[in-house]
Amino acid sequence: MSKRTTRSLMMVAALASASVTSANAQDPRVLPRLDAPSRAAIAAVVDSAKAQGIPVEPLYDKVNEGVVKGADGPHIVVAVRNLALDLATAHRALGALATADEIKAAASAMHAGVPAVELGKLKKQSGLRRSLTLPFTVLADIVSRGVPVSTAANAIRSLVGAGAKDKDINDFQRNVKVDIEQGAPPAAAAETRAKGTAKPENLDQIDQ
Amino acid sequence: MPEWGRTTLEMIVQDLQRPVRLDESFERRVMVRVRRYYAQRRRRSRGWLAVGASITHHPAWTAAVAAGIVAVATLGVLSVHPRTASGGVIEPTTFVLVAPTARSVAVVGDFNNWGLDDSALVATSNQGVWSVTASVPVGVHRYAFVVNGVNGKQWMADPTAPRSSGDDFGMPSSALVVEDSTK
Repeated sequence: MSKRTTRSLMMVAALASASVTSANAQDPRVLPRLDAPSRAAIAAVVDSAKAQGIPVEPLYDKVNEGVVKGADGPHIVVAVRNLALDLATAHRALGALATADEIKAAASAMHAGVPAVELGKLKKQSGLRRSLTLPFTVLADIVSRGVPVSTAANAIRSLVGAGAKDKDINDFQRNVKVDIEQGAPPAAAAETRAKGTAKPENLDQIDQ
Repeated sequence: MPEWGRTTLEMIVQDLQRPVRLDESFERRVMVRVRRYYAQRRRRSRGWLAVGASITHHPAWTAAVAAGIVAVATLGVLSVHPRTASGGVIEPTTFVLVAPTARSVAVVGDFNNWGLDDSALVATSNQGVWSVTASVPVGVHRYAFVVNGVNGKQWMADPTAPRSSGDDFGMPSSALVVEDSTK
């Protein structure tokens, strides 16, 4: 193959990949709706997140959410900065193989009060193939309903360890929610429902 | 073993152990065949390369190969399942809220820019059971219902979904995990 041909093929490949990449980039249309200092502050947070390999789409989503909910610029900047910090911590805790969705869900769980180290343990335990997006989402939910963090993390760990599918973990969340709404103590609801969902060989993990 | 058998066996062994006298040209002939065999193989593989080179040198073929690369790159993104502009798989998702006294219900979330620029999903009512189905990218999302009722507009989390913990602006929202049905 001649050098010229090789070069032209490489250029075409680069153009094709560039078109896909530019489609992936988030369009920050919402930024003009903010005041100039807030806009600059958010651009700095986004640049820093990009440099760290953190997904930036959730940061733009947070800006959109703030604008729609009528929050002022400084309030939105604080929320975006906090989210960027949570995403960075989650990214470090989960490792390089975590997906953007797992990082988002983990950041949400951290926002609910789950320590990053617990999330890292879960990721390590679950292996590479198991997505923890839903388990992290359910963990955040049950903690926000009053289940103590350690109980909630143990319950989710036992379910994931027992090979529970996302559907099972969804059912677990619904059952815990109904139990709590009916007056059950949150910890008791989570422990009991996890035992009902997990396989018998993993029950000892829940009691720990 | 009988005596006659042993004798016969010994004779055979002796015969096999006798060195074979090879023709003096044997080694040369073998090596010629070996070289010829590998030369043919090299020519065949060079033939492949030669065809490839003639294809890529021709402008029309170059364009065709380039178009092929672009097509493969594009098809990789836009294959059979519906996808977003960025290549993410999208799945039909139905949102349901029971709100018998509501005048209107809409769904806003990070998948529709939280309803900016009139992008809210407007639900329809079936005797107070409001629902709307939309294509939502696979992944984890946050969303809420905006209920227009007797007390004006109100943000509501989905009572049937996990809570979202990132309510920085004081209005509740829910978490949604959309799974890829193609996996």
